[in-house]
Amino acid sequence: MEAQKVDMFIMTNAKFFESHHIGIIRDKLIAMDESRWIFVSTIQFVDPTTSIIVSILAGSFGIDRFIIGDTGLGIAKLLTCGGIGIWTIIDWFLIMGATREKNMEKLQRVLY
Amino acid sequence: MVASKQKFYIFILISCLVGYIWLLFSFYHTNKSHNDFEVCLIKHVTNIPCPSCGSTRSVLSIFQGRVLEAFFINPIGLILALTIVITPVWAIVDLFIKAESLFLFYKKAEVFFRRKSVAIPAVILILSNWIWNIYKEI
Repeated sequence: MEAQKVDMFIMTNAKFFESHHIGIIRDKLIAMDESRWIFVSTIQFVDPTTSIIVSILAGSFGIDRFIIGDTGLGIAKLLTCGGIGIWTIIDWFLIMGATREKNMEKLQRVLY
Repeated sequence: MVASKQKFYIFILISCLVGYIWLLFSFYHTNKSHNDFEVCLIKHVTNIPCPSCGSTRSVLSIFQGRVLEAFFINPIGLILALTIVITPVWAIVDLFIKAESLFLFYKKAEVFFRRKSVAIPAVILILSNWIWNIYKEI
């Protein structure tokens, strides 16, 4: 694919991924076929900022985990009162990274 | 977080271990001082119990054989008691025979709970349990 198009994608979506992912994403997108651009450009990514806000407000109910697609962990968090309160606090620091990882998984499903 | 199998099994075993330590701690704590030691953030901040408040007491009464009492404290305790007994055994057996049945079961359960026909009743159940909790002033 055209490098210009790929760079445009990277610029608008960089906040959704870990910084060490960006290089790999760029290489993969450039090597990708033009016909799959429509799938890549229409993926809905979760904003890490949204998930941290949800985590602070409703982390005890596991809503943050449900939002990023970790249904199993969400249920576990909900039923254990946010992991006896400890997991809620740990997730305030982990959830942004977890969101970026999940976004990467979503993109990988289209790329490979 | 649970993308890889190894991480999943470590996570399951550690969380079960923390669960048992917490149960032991609260068992001796309630026996000594008769004061409830609560860690629920929602209850501390808003003074309103969360949907799973009281599940520690509920699990403790199940382990002491009072199942009906456990149900009236918090029905979620029944699910948690089953989980905390079954999953560590299942995980350890899986690790020994080098299978991945628990991991596959987890993946299947995730897909199952994402279905609208399952998720909506589950949410309604949790909400009604929450209302019951607030009504009981647990």
